[in-house]
Amino acid sequence: MSSEMTASAESSTLSTAERLRVAGLHAPDDAPADAVLSIRDLNVRFNTENGVVHAVRGIDFDLRAGRTLGIVGESGSGKSVTSMAVMGLLPETAEISGSVRLNGKELLGLSDKAMCRHRGNDLAMVFQDPLSSLTPVYTVGNQIIEALTVHNPTMTKRAKEARAVELLALVGIPSPKDRFKAFPHEFSGGMRQRVMIAIAIANNPRVLIADEPTTALDVTIQAQVLEVLHTAQEETGAAVVMITHDLGVVAGMADDIMVMYAGKPVETGSVDDIYYNPRMPYTMGLLGAVPRVDIAEKTSLVPIEGIPPNLVHTPTGCSFAPRCPLASDSCLQGEPELWAVAGENLDGGMPHKAACIKTDSLGLEVDVHEIFRAPAVPVSRFDAIPREERRTVLELRDVKKHFPLLKGALLKRRIGTVKAVDGLSFDIREGECFSIVGESGCGKTTTLLEIMEFHKDQDGEVVIGGLSNKEASDARTKSAMRKELQMVFQDPTGALDPRFTVFEVLSEPLENAGMAKAQIRKRIMELMELVGLQPDHVNRFPNQFSGGQRQRIGIARALAVNPKLVVLDEPVSALDVSVQAGVINLLDKLRAELGLSYLMVAHDLSVVRHISNRVAVMYLGKIVEIGDVDAVFDNPRHPYTRALLSAIPVPDPALERTRERIILEGDLPSPLDAPAGCNFATRCPVFAALPPARQEKCLTLEPPLEPLPAPGPGGTPAPPTDQQFACFYPDGELDADALVVHETN
Amino acid sequence: MLRYLAKRALTYAFMIFLTTTAGYFLAVSTLKPALLEQERIPRPTPEQVANSFRLKGLDPDLSPWERYVDWLTGILTRWDWGRSPNGAFINAEFGDRVWISTRLFLASIILTLIIGVALGVYTAARQYKASDRVITSYSYLVYIVPAPIAYFLVQLGAININETVGERLFFVTGISTPGLEGDGWAQFIDMLAHYAVPTFAITIVGWGTYQIAQRQYLLDNVNADFVRTARAKGLTRNQAITRHALRVSFIPVAQSIAFTIPAIFAGGFFAEKIFAWHGVGSWSIDAISLQDVNAATATLAYGSVIFAIGAILADFATTLVDPRVRVQ
Ligand SMILES: Nc1ncnc2c1ncn2[C@@H]1O[C@H](COP(=O)(O)OP(=O)(O)OP(=O)(O)O)[C@@H](O)[C@H]1O
Ligand code: SF4
Ligand code: SF4
Ligand SMILES: [Mg+2]
Repeated sequence: MSSEMTASAESSTLSTAERLRVAGLHAPDDAPADAVLSIRDLNVRFNTENGVVHAVRGIDFDLRAGRTLGIVGESGSGKSVTSMAVMGLLPETAEISGSVRLNGKELLGLSDKAMCRHRGNDLAMVFQDPLSSLTPVYTVGNQIIEALTVHNPTMTKRAKEARAVELLALVGIPSPKDRFKAFPHEFSGGMRQRVMIAIAIANNPRVLIADEPTTALDVTIQAQVLEVLHTAQEETGAAVVMITHDLGVVAGMADDIMVMYAGKPVETGSVDDIYYNPRMPYTMGLLGAVPRVDIAEKTSLVPIEGIPPNLVHTPTGCSFAPRCPLASDSCLQGEPELWAVAGENLDGGMPHKAACIKTDSLGLEVDVHEIFRAPAVPVSRFDAIPREERRTVLELRDVKKHFPLLKGALLKRRIGTVKAVDGLSFDIREGECFSIVGESGCGKTTTLLEIMEFHKDQDGEVVIGGLSNKEASDARTKSAMRKELQMVFQDPTGALDPRFTVFEVLSEPLENAGMAKAQIRKRIMELMELVGLQPDHVNRFPNQFSGGQRQRIGIARALAVNPKLVVLDEPVSALDVSVQAGVINLLDKLRAELGLSYLMVAHDLSVVRHISNRVAVMYLGKIVEIGDVDAVFDNPRHPYTRALLSAIPVPDPALERTRERIILEGDLPSPLDAPAGCNFATRCPVFAALPPARQEKCLTLEPPLEPLPAPGPGGTPAPPTDQQFACFYPDGELDADALVVHETN
Repeated sequence: MLRYLAKRALTYAFMIFLTTTAGYFLAVSTLKPALLEQERIPRPTPEQVANSFRLKGLDPDLSPWERYVDWLTGILTRWDWGRSPNGAFINAEFGDRVWISTRLFLASIILTLIIGVALGVYTAARQYKASDRVITSYSYLVYIVPAPIAYFLVQLGAININETVGERLFFVTGISTPGLEGDGWAQFIDMLAHYAVPTFAITIVGWGTYQIAQRQYLLDNVNADFVRTARAKGLTRNQAITRHALRVSFIPVAQSIAFTIPAIFAGGFFAEKIFAWHGVGSWSIDAISLQDVNAATATLAYGSVIFAIGAILADFATTLVDPRVRVQ
């Protein structure tokens, strides 16, 4: 591989230098003296059956010690390939050219063996999926020690063990001495990611690359892991490259940002430049596409239509042109280079540059919603009617689902009960969107399954459109229930049979409802239009659509029989940010136009805030707080809700830098060891700060779900909301250890 | 660990009992040795037949349940597995044959495992190179060729060699030369000359499955995330694969031992017939053609025991390589 690579690097030297000069960049040799990592014109090509995929097309940057560079971009934009190229971990079939210098030393072209002196030593990496990134058959201690052994052959066993325990303590593994001998499967995802970080920083790297390190984790765990990364960087003084698709995650961490699109950086600059003064339509759209958890928005999200280009064909013009609302003929005359954007470079970070020929006209005064033609906020006819006067479409009364936990091969013994759902009551009125949020394992999916089950013998009552599961649950009632309630699934690809055309997918529920042939055709055309798909695409198969379009087909199928209530199970979590915005806008529009009600389950609280009217926060099978979405999000009373909301990073660097964060201890406990009193007590930051006398109450009594206590005489009357929460000390002080603020970045 | 294995052993003992019981009832209700007696010359009277069978504990007039109780009592109280219609004692016959079968298969099983796994690793490391293609194609070939045909071919090959050399190097049938005189060395050479051909034949058709499985599991793991982590620590690709992917890829292979050992024994009657080793396999076929209830049941019991041993070995091997099992 090496001879090929140097050859191609040489042949492109001339054009590289030329290109860099034009782009106003330094020639390869005059990288700043203090740069630990310098990349020049990095290109990666893969030879595949379909042709040569040009996955990375010219990346340049310098990274100085202690700084953090965030690389953002949607799936397939080449973020991971870039990081793997730097690490020298791409498959041998990859063709790499350009220059990657670590402390002035060229890394490209080094053999696997020579690269090994750097990997894990001065150049380290943390990967996305912590569940599969550790070897299942070795203890975590063993795997940390291996990293030490490789680069410090003379270190004694005692010293290595001591260092490994020290590292585990540093990344926040409780009782590291005992956990040292644990196997990966005994650790939760968050803890495994901590171990990965411990391995990465074992030898004090100069450069630490983190590729989506928290994408697979729950928000409260994400907050913990980001905190650990922060500590790790402080401890090692390393330069960090943080790769993510989540604009919130890097806002508080990064000094500089590089936005990638179709294998190329399309905008670079300091974090403030990018977030507050974006100058490239893609960046602007991306920022407008993410909903905010911290403010009640009165605008729709910015949808970016279309999909990224196929990298087998090198774009001749601007690669974003097919999706750019500002595209004109001149955009197709050659690919725009990164041009410097006027403005001062304050902290000596990355100069602000954008690859768009219309950069200069995209100043602060431009409204991105206008450019991307974001739809107006839809208004539902129900919005004017007070909630109490609207019909109830779904009601749950004290629904429970307990699973017995059994042990033994032949004769099963019951050793406990998992209270997956433990006494849930709520109702959904016409025209409203009700969301259930909570970390994975809190019982969201079980709740949905219980509703779909609709059986007489269930524990608790489910009333759907006036039909109760207790009264009748024969086939007739069930099918009547199905007409009231339809479901949209998380994974748009898995939910559609690849052998059926869209027409067949959509006609199935209509045929079941006994509709005539001619009418079916008409209805399908209507549905296609309704969800924003081209009606003449009905004869295509699901695999000919993009992810967002497939989710639209799923929505159309759910709407086919005109249900009153649509259950949305993580409807957008499998989609890229830019695509997600379009689907969210569609859901919003349909709710208003058709007077639908939604029951949504989602882990992304920003999405929930954007489209819901009411929200319930679940913890270990119970609702801990419920109410109007703005009331709950702006004034959370339960300590868990407070922690959950504070854990969500927002795409606003200034806010992120000063925001107070509540970092919860540990993981979600298994529902099996649910304690007697308040089941949040094990992680509760308020509880931790209480004097023992008052803690007693939390440990013995179960806090009921109640509205705010009536204000005492002389107190200001609380605004009328139906917010309820289950906590004895909603105004309690938070434990100081749980609070984290990064004043300076 | 020991408790775990003891528990498994107990479960298997129970399973063996059930299969054997079911087998006995099946045999007792379908096999009718009395019919064969009718073909003897001079033809014995039905009374004579019944009498002689009654003496051997094979009374055809008793109900299956009564015979089962008698048979079971014999085993449980005296470890007596009954007699054949010709009067031979199962216990005596069985001991000889088990010993023969074990000698025939033990070496082959060990060789099959070692060669199969080693070749699997070797070919995975050379994926799509010529050596990989040759070896893997061979494995698929023996996968489709019926074992008896392969045994015949090996036998013919050995005969060919003997003829070319002009001297009998290999014995293609039998287990030893009857009445061979001589010192230990001569005995040893004689044994080798008898063992070589069947062991070779069974081994070369046996390792294919292991090679394919080991190669596949290893290839599934060479690009696993944890191998990438190991490389990111500073291990070379080869180090990362040998230290991390290899051990993980052993787990499913170890589990498959459970099925291979009984499969080799079960497939063994072809080998025993072709190479004329009078082991348990050929006995089971004979038992059915001779309408021998007790022998048929005994071979079935033996098969279940072998299966249980395979399963326990597999448990043991899995426990060795996979810590996740150890903890449970
Ligand atoms: N080994 C490979 N062979 C061929 N093509 C590849 C290979 N690895 C990556 N690619 C292609 O390179 C492009 C960039 O992929 P990359 O994984 O870097 O995207 P990404 O930005 O990390 O996306 P995500 O957000 O999904 O992680 C994609 O088109 C991908 O299909
Ligand atoms: S160059 Fe043209 S097509 Fe490309 S981003 Fe700018 S305006 Fe849009
Ligand atoms: S009741 Fe006590 S333990 Fe539970 S959330 Fe409130 S303060 Fe915390
Ligand atoms: Mg990636």
